[in-house]
Amino acid sequence: MLLDPNHATTLAEARSYIAALADAAHTVGASCAYERALIQLDWIHYDDVPALDSAGLTKDREVLSMLVTSSLEELRDSFGLDPLEVELLHASLADARALDEP
Amino acid sequence: MYAETGHRIRAELTELLNQHRIQQRLGGPARYQPMPRTPEERQAYGELIRRFRQSALVWCHEAAIAVAPSAVSAIAPTIANPFNKNARRHESLDVLNRALETSIHASSARLPTMHELTTAHDIGLVEHWRQLARAAVLSEQDFDAGLGHGRLDAAQSRVLIGDIAAVTRALVVLDQRYSGTPGWERLHRGTHLGWAALSCALEASLDPPDYSVDLAGWRPSVKVLRGPAKPGLLGVLQAEHNLLVRMNASPSAMNLRLVVDSQRLLSADLAGLAATIDPDLAETWARRSETYRAIQHELRNVGGNIGRGGLAVAEGANAVSRLEKILPGDELDPRVLHAFSQLFDRVDGRVADALQTGISKQWYFLRVRTLKDVGSSGTKLARPIDRYMPLAEAEHSRLTALVNEQLRPAPEPKLVSQRAVRSRAELHQALITGPDRSGGLAI
Repeated sequence: MLLDPNHATTLAEARSYIAALADAAHTVGASCAYERALIQLDWIHYDDVPALDSAGLTKDREVLSMLVTSSLEELRDSFGLDPLEVELLHASLADARALDEP
Repeated sequence: MYAETGHRIRAELTELLNQHRIQQRLGGPARYQPMPRTPEERQAYGELIRRFRQSALVWCHEAAIAVAPSAVSAIAPTIANPFNKNARRHESLDVLNRALETSIHASSARLPTMHELTTAHDIGLVEHWRQLARAAVLSEQDFDAGLGHGRLDAAQSRVLIGDIAAVTRALVVLDQRYSGTPGWERLHRGTHLGWAALSCALEASLDPPDYSVDLAGWRPSVKVLRGPAKPGLLGVLQAEHNLLVRMNASPSAMNLRLVVDSQRLLSADLAGLAATIDPDLAETWARRSETYRAIQHELRNVGGNIGRGGLAVAEGANAVSRLEKILPGDELDPRVLHAFSQLFDRVDGRVADALQTGISKQWYFLRVRTLKDVGSSGTKLARPIDRYMPLAEAEHSRLTALVNEQLRPAPEPKLVSQRAVRSRAELHQALITGPDRSGGLAI
């Protein structure tokens, strides 16, 4: 499946933000939960996803959470990602956040 | 495993060499004979024994063929012609092999049937021969499962050659001793066979042996532990064991990421539980968790749909969910905790194997983002494009370093079976001592 360049860019950003959240997590449990959310996003796209690059992104987890939420909504609204899958991803990300230390 | 089958062969031969007055034991005439047998019956026993002996001879022949590719002569010139493959050929072994082949073909005895091999005999002497033949037949499957055919080193080969020589010499000695049995058929050129075996034994003893050869051979395959989850930490151990078995099938890239995730989480949680019981173990597992974190990081941009691994992922999830139910205050058995160390080493080896297989067979690909110039009416725009490249070509040195330096377990010290080593000494002692143990030759 060949992704539209804009779709690929948004997907790469969403992947990068989730990876950055996994790196910034304070507990192993939360980091692993974010990694599983990333795998979930890849699985929705049949593992045919663009490369991520989390280098240079902010370490602020609040900002990263907002960015990933925004990217996922853009994927749903502009690129036809299944809304149910997006909600499940939101739930996974919320679970990961709950596991992390404040 | 050769430690078991080889030990059984040598132990039975030792017992047979220690038994004298053969005709009396077979029910022949004697001052006191509790079980007198007719000459026809003793002839039938003799024929059965020769069939069992045929199995032992075939074992010797098969072993000589299996060890030949790795056998190096200890008395050949040290500086041999490297272009002549026969320069350091083990000629004594070749001679023994030919002598064995001749003896097998010249014998009128056929190989024993499955019924004969598996039915216990009421005469103790014949029963020992049956056990010898049974062990020889079982040991034949060791040769294809790592014992020989080029998979032994020179020191290991020497041990096997020494064993073949000892078994052959024992058969020659016994051949002489059983010659009074009605209808007995001597080994063809038995004296030549004995000298050939002696020559091999002497050459094999020139350099130090490596008894780790006992660890080679066939082993039963590890099986999945089925049934309901065991209580507490045993349940986690059960799931981790099952994950190890399920990792026999190479996982797809995504399933490998999930397995790596489960191992990272498991190690970190177990390190927390073990901190008060065994701080060293806790530190090792914390390091393991960190290794898996690094691998997980590297695998984010790795894809590839070839492979399976769904069952391994399920077992990993079982292990993590069972561990979550164990509370920090729960009593833990230190033996179960230590059992994880060995299991983790093997899982690490299996994950390393999966990664290396995936890389070498180009099942796993690296996602790479590059910029492509898109020309349009004289203007040039740089647009990111994604492409995949095989990991082997991508020179993914970080992942390779992680696998080779941290994931691949250090080689375990090989524990040699003392029982198997002792049985060699006992067989050699039985070969050189007479019935009164006075040191006279057994013949």
